[in-house]
Amino acid sequence: METEASSFETSEMLATFLATTPLLLESWKLCSHANTAAAQSFVVNRIGDVTYVAFSGVQMVSGLDPSCRNLVPLVHSAPNGLFSALNRHGDGEEPVMVHAGLLHLFLSICPNFLNQMFQIRKNSKLVVITGHSIGGTLASLSALCLLSDLQFMMVSSLSVLCITFGSPLLGNESLSRAILQERWGGSFCHVVAKYDIVPRLLLAPLAPLTSQLHILLQFWQLSMNSPFFRELSHQLPDNETSELFHFLLEYLVKAGEESARNSYWPFGNYMFCTDEGAVCVDNAMAVVKLLHLMFAMGSASYSIEDHLKYEDYVRKVTLQFSERRGHKQGELPEYSYEAGITLALQSSGISTHEPVSGPAKDCLKMAKRMGRAPNLNCTNLAIGLSKINPLRAQIEWYKALCDESDEQMGYYDTFKQRVASRRDSKVNMNRIKLARFWNDLIQMWESNQLPHDFLKRGKWVNASQFYKLLVEPLDIAEYYRSGMHPSKGHYLRNGRERRYEIFDRWWRDRRIGEEENDKRSKFASLTQDTCFWARVEEARELLDNARSERDPMKLSLLWNNIDQFEQYARRLVERKEVSRDVVAKNSSYSLWVEALKELKSRLHQQLPPQL
Amino acid sequence: MAGGRLGENIGMREELIKKASSLAMKAHRSPGKPFLSEKSRGSPEIIIAFPGSWSVGDWFSGRSFGETKVDNLFPSVRSIGNDEVGLANEAFIRRFKEILRSLENEVKKAERRQIIFAGHSSGGPIAILATLWFLEESLKPNSSPIPPLCVTFGSPLTGDRMFPHALRRESWAHYFIHFVMKYDIVPRIMLSPFSSIERELATILSFFNPKSANFEQQSIGRDNMTLNFFMIVMRNASSLASHAACNLMGCTNLLLETVTNFIELSPYRPFGTYIFCTRNGELVVVKNPDAVLQLLFYCLQLSSEAEDKALVAYTSLQEHLVYERELQESLEMQNVVYLDLLEELPLSSDVSSSINRALNELGLSTRARLCLRCCWREYKTGCEVRQIGYYDAFKLQKEDRDFHANVARLELAGMWDEIIEMLRRYELPDGFECRKEWIKLGTNYRRLVEPLDIANYYRHLKNEDTGPYLIKGRPKRYKYTQKWREHAERLSIGSGSESCFWAEVEELRTSNNGSFDAMEDRILQFEQRVYRWVSAQELGKDVFLDEATFMKWWKKNLPSQHREASCLKKFIGG
Repeated sequence: METEASSFETSEMLATFLATTPLLLESWKLCSHANTAAAQSFVVNRIGDVTYVAFSGVQMVSGLDPSCRNLVPLVHSAPNGLFSALNRHGDGEEPVMVHAGLLHLFLSICPNFLNQMFQIRKNSKLVVITGHSIGGTLASLSALCLLSDLQFMMVSSLSVLCITFGSPLLGNESLSRAILQERWGGSFCHVVAKYDIVPRLLLAPLAPLTSQLHILLQFWQLSMNSPFFRELSHQLPDNETSELFHFLLEYLVKAGEESARNSYWPFGNYMFCTDEGAVCVDNAMAVVKLLHLMFAMGSASYSIEDHLKYEDYVRKVTLQFSERRGHKQGELPEYSYEAGITLALQSSGISTHEPVSGPAKDCLKMAKRMGRAPNLNCTNLAIGLSKINPLRAQIEWYKALCDESDEQMGYYDTFKQRVASRRDSKVNMNRIKLARFWNDLIQMWESNQLPHDFLKRGKWVNASQFYKLLVEPLDIAEYYRSGMHPSKGHYLRNGRERRYEIFDRWWRDRRIGEEENDKRSKFASLTQDTCFWARVEEARELLDNARSERDPMKLSLLWNNIDQFEQYARRLVERKEVSRDVVAKNSSYSLWVEALKELKSRLHQQLPPQL
Repeated sequence: MAGGRLGENIGMREELIKKASSLAMKAHRSPGKPFLSEKSRGSPEIIIAFPGSWSVGDWFSGRSFGETKVDNLFPSVRSIGNDEVGLANEAFIRRFKEILRSLENEVKKAERRQIIFAGHSSGGPIAILATLWFLEESLKPNSSPIPPLCVTFGSPLTGDRMFPHALRRESWAHYFIHFVMKYDIVPRIMLSPFSSIERELATILSFFNPKSANFEQQSIGRDNMTLNFFMIVMRNASSLASHAACNLMGCTNLLLETVTNFIELSPYRPFGTYIFCTRNGELVVVKNPDAVLQLLFYCLQLSSEAEDKALVAYTSLQEHLVYERELQESLEMQNVVYLDLLEELPLSSDVSSSINRALNELGLSTRARLCLRCCWREYKTGCEVRQIGYYDAFKLQKEDRDFHANVARLELAGMWDEIIEMLRRYELPDGFECRKEWIKLGTNYRRLVEPLDIANYYRHLKNEDTGPYLIKGRPKRYKYTQKWREHAERLSIGSGSESCFWAEVEELRTSNNGSFDAMEDRILQFEQRVYRWVSAQELGKDVFLDEATFMKWWKKNLPSQHREASCLKKFIGG
């Protein structure tokens, strides 16, 4: 029974909600204060339970300098693992990259910021980080840095919200995707005035227009710092600003179409503010298109003035709740969804007879996630889970059979050395089907198709953990069986599927207070360290090398590692945290222990008596 | 959207409504009395009306929205499976408790008459709580079979979302009838945190107090402070309404959740039948609590930027005091509109129909109408849940050694888990947990399958991985279905755990090294429960077979003098 995700348009309702909260207005007030009073720095203000941190938009001009426009990898350009959570490896993906100049600016302000945050975190659980113009990108980087730290420290007691006003773009598509995967998109809200040129600037290569940009930047910064300078806008050279406007417009037309690789890309939510209202959109492609369509309705002078008009927009949108706002012109569709789109379009300041209204409508439709509602997805997954549970049960059964079997190899080694029997290939099939189920689930989670509190449900965390405990050993077996490691390297570093790392994290982050029981009277039903067998495989290689190695330095290193593994494994066995298949007589672990003993005694015999 | 005359539709005669509104206003003017009661000769009803209070402390106490958990006075105001207890305004509860003693006496005098509890302003919450108390009492044996009615006029909101949930589940919601004037500010006050209106509230309340010098004073109504108060209340109502609408519309944007962490949203929710009244005599009847919440906000919106805000703010105070007069007229005119087919509301205001006339009277823009449309919920998920009915749970029993039985057990568990998940999110109809067929299915399932799960749990030594089954390992699907039955049959909480029999045995077997002395009390209690279960045939006598774990343990570990005296002796042969 397929159902539409929902038959309502919510981009406008969400913006309405946001505008009735004090967050938007208080953020702007502090931004405005930071612009005039805290050039090149930031200010902190606490209102009730919420602490606001605003970065001044008045910064060293080099920030937007075209020479600094190039993207640099974020994780490796920042010291002390500041953004380690955004590290993406493998998959042949482009690394997460950000604007070099803006990152540089942030890093210079960062120690001071982290100091302040240390103080703030002592007595505040709610932090809003905000900034106007370049201050907005500093706010975004600060929020990313904070979120990354929270994830690393496994703290969940602090909520972070970043609200920027007219901020330039910050990073590439990988950044945008990484933020989605971490489910941080909801922590970023970029407020963009209808015609403001700044949030659009980095969608075009600016090198040919360096001089115009410099003049503009100077003008904006002076005006932010002291409203008196705003009078000067008419002194800006008309032809040059108009040249910039048209240059940019040309690129914006193409921005949504071309491959976005190696260029700037929006992330998080965009709240577009117009004289008619506001809409909130979180689909990056729709954001890029709306950035273009609204810009195209403006003019050179609007595009420059709007960057300084956030005060008006914010005041207006936060007062809008008190008035009845009806449908203004044209026919109103009778279907709720279509009517909602029409109203959202009206709030975007695009009237129906405008040529851009058609494409803008498509954008809003695209922004809405199609498919089933998260809760229904979750229901379906649960039914899916109950359907694949039998597959898992068969693997459990297989394990029990191996444990009972006379060969005494345990299921890891039995599976690894299997010859084409029907039973083994059935288990292999199940393994693959289970992997597909869990990969799909992760994909749905990361693309926000599941309910927010999905992981707070013990069921899924427990099921993923149990799956991992049972099946990862088979994945390891398959990896070494098919001879992947000589070409790709060992499993632990190079072969482990991303899903297991995610499940590790889910398990680690689950409700605290479930203390582990450390006394076991029998061997655990499943080995608690799922990478145990991968470590055994590495230890086997170590032992092989130790037999042949002649270089004493390398040899001592090898022995060091062997000892380490031996101690680790012995502790697990003593604490009964391994399942009985590990200590089965013919398991590769038992064989390894034997081999070690033999090698040691052989070495003892070889030792010259004087030692 | 037919519905006929108001009185017939809501189950309360017009003449009775008028009397109740007069008595409710009169109660304000009778100082020192906890309530007024009126029974006219020969009439089958008695009206009890409660006065309001105008001191700030009687409206808000302590916390930001002044809410507290309802205690054992209202045991039904909770969710069964989730076991969430409802929240209600602490100050109102306190005032209700103060008059409870004398109310009990008055109620006894009612004899075989129907009681109408009534209240205007903050007398409303007392009438609501009194009605609820009366309904709770009527569940006890030998109590009055005549259901009460509750009618309030401009009452502030009293309880959280558990009220609409529990009252609909118990089929009590239709006993509650609330009249709200279009602009009356009072029913909206509880949507704002106390801290935001602390400065203005005392003065505003004095405007309503007949004994205050400020009573109905234009100087107050026209004051800037009133405008300020009005805007704050409206802003908070807007936050809550748009937040609710985002959720009802299925907004999946993560920003919604983040922002919600940063602000305080009122826990209070409407319940029962709401009748919105305009000065032109229009009566709009709404029974959907989500739609009422939207209307509480959208009715306040100004028609345009040009409208005199200060005047509207003044009106929002005045309209709190006009119920008696306005209702006399409106009830005569009978311009009644029932908003029940919400999904078909006209969006555009220029179609001519009686519905549209009423919606225009309430000042509902297209956006407001969309928000009302989204309150209409179809429980599609319920249909999917039905699949479970196709599984014949009894098949399991016959082939429980079979691998396929285990597979069926796993599949069935998945289905049940999903039902529980939907209940946890309140996505099933409110009355779901009271439906007989589901309680029966759940109980059968639980008695049949839970012992297998327990056996598995202890066989795989999961008690050493996670802890005792009853504390750490028991799946929600069994806890919930047990609570359904306990609620339906009015059993004490926890007494229906017969399906956990084996888990208790396992725990007794393994704890304290099986020493009898240390656990004597626990064992005695357990035996009494087993006695009750077996006597009531909730537990099969096969547990007493010699080969069963229970008997092995009982015979081996318990001293013979205990066994001789045990209440289970009569079931155990030899």
